[in-house]
Amino acid sequence: MSDIDIKRISYLAKLKLPSEKEEFYSNSLKDIIKWVDNLKKVDTSKIEPLHNVTEKTVSIRNDEVSKSNSVDDVLSNAPERAQNFFKVPKVVE
Amino acid sequence: MSNNWEMVIGLEVHAQLKTSSKLFSSSPNKFGSEPNENVNFIDSGMPGMLPVMNFGCIEMAIKTGYALNFKINKHSVFERKNYFYPDLPQGYQISQFEFPILSEGYINIESGDNQKKIRIERAHLEQDAGKSIHDIDPKYSFIDLNRVGTPLLEIVSYPDLSSADEVINYMSSLRQLLMYIDVCDGNMQEGSLRADVNLSVRKKGQELGTRCEIKNLNSFKFIKQAIEYEFQRQINIIDGGGEIEQNTMLFDTSTGETRAMRSKEFSHDYRYFPDPDLLPVNLTQEQIDKIKPLVGELPQDKLNKYLDNYNLDKDIAKIIIAEKQNANLFEKMISESTVKPKFIAAWLVGDIFAFIKENNLEVNSLNDKTKDITDLLILISDDVISNKAGKEILPKVLNGEGKPSELVKELGLEQVSDFGELEKIIDGALLGEEENILKFQGGSDRVLGYFVGKCLKATKGKGNPKLINKILLERLKK
Repeated sequence: MSDIDIKRISYLAKLKLPSEKEEFYSNSLKDIIKWVDNLKKVDTSKIEPLHNVTEKTVSIRNDEVSKSNSVDDVLSNAPERAQNFFKVPKVVE
Repeated sequence: MSNNWEMVIGLEVHAQLKTSSKLFSSSPNKFGSEPNENVNFIDSGMPGMLPVMNFGCIEMAIKTGYALNFKINKHSVFERKNYFYPDLPQGYQISQFEFPILSEGYINIESGDNQKKIRIERAHLEQDAGKSIHDIDPKYSFIDLNRVGTPLLEIVSYPDLSSADEVINYMSSLRQLLMYIDVCDGNMQEGSLRADVNLSVRKKGQELGTRCEIKNLNSFKFIKQAIEYEFQRQINIIDGGGEIEQNTMLFDTSTGETRAMRSKEFSHDYRYFPDPDLLPVNLTQEQIDKIKPLVGELPQDKLNKYLDNYNLDKDIAKIIIAEKQNANLFEKMISESTVKPKFIAAWLVGDIFAFIKENNLEVNSLNDKTKDITDLLILISDDVISNKAGKEILPKVLNGEGKPSELVKELGLEQVSDFGELEKIIDGALLGEEENILKFQGGSDRVLGYFVGKCLKATKGKGNPKLINKILLERLKK
């Protein structure tokens, strides 16, 4: 099993871990991976990958417009808004 | 010394599909609305909302498949590409990864005097993200989610391009094809077509170098500038003994420079996995076949037709096929009249396009004037009016100031083509010109021009020059 880079994982998940907790979470994740690794023992070399448990195809709709809500509905859960924009702490990449 | 170096370029082009609604929601797919006007609970990533596939997007992807010589895959899978950004409310972009809808296509582009085949690895459907506006407030970013869920077709070429000019030719050919098959409006300013450029350099004949990706270029001018700058930047690093770091770059349009964009300490890891909300797309051959007739004539088909059937010069034919609306206007005029296609083409790329440009019009806007235009062209080709008079009347016809025949009468531009009348005028003009007539008969052709001018003047410019010439020659040879 590969080692866990807990700093990278918390970065990707946008979670801030206190440094004293890093080892604890790292070990928890290792346990999960160890458990999942059991599946690797099954020989799947002759089995087609399955992308979904049902055999069906995606359900489709025609290309038609319908409006089901107002701008205010969409903004009603926003912590902050400015006119009709969501207002969030500055993020510049 | 940059002449031992060559650039190797692959392009990822994002084409916004021209559907009415979004990829997985029924919200309008429309540019320029009020902020967050076209957003529903699916687009805004509310918990428990389920995406439903818009079949219009599949149709457009299949059309693109035919136009770009792709293998159209019956089986494709939507996956989640996970990353966090405020304008991506779901926390992931739904895209196709391992199983795209189109694979292994190509187009031919012009490279110098030759054709070059550019292979295309794949094209897949995906959602666009929203828009962050950073310059309204110093502390806050403002988010508009209208663009969230807009259907994109990402077209990924192989690294077969080797100059900025080839990249521009490839992009414009793609744009032309996508506009012909009516899947993308091609409006680069509004972001309907944008490119990520992957560029590496190598000494001629050597192995591929490390590439950098320049993101989100939305004009031919910027693409060219960014490529030229990045080419030189990489050469300078290697010549200075350094190594190229694989990086994502931004092009700063104000300085004309590229600079690294993403933080380097952690590389991104999108952790793709099949989207559990969406079943795989499984198409039947029948569904795919049904779409083929919708592709219509492609630019190359039209070019061949114009050269072989209409006998046009290649340069003129190319101007007409450059945009589908040009070709539509041209073909409408051919179908509605008996005027020779070659004659229509000359007027179209000449005075008619000049008028369109001068008045900042869309070519389409003349679609309801085609009958008037061809009526005018008939008057010219039948010698009822002169070429010069035609040029004078054309803008008035295009402005809708009247019917060509009425305008001709109103402005008194009808040519005198009555044989007898012209004979009388010519005989009058030749009176007292014995000396010049002798000169002509002695071999001086210049005198003919003098006589034609004199006769035209006598008809106040309305005499049919061809007839005048003909009658004059008969008279003078006696």
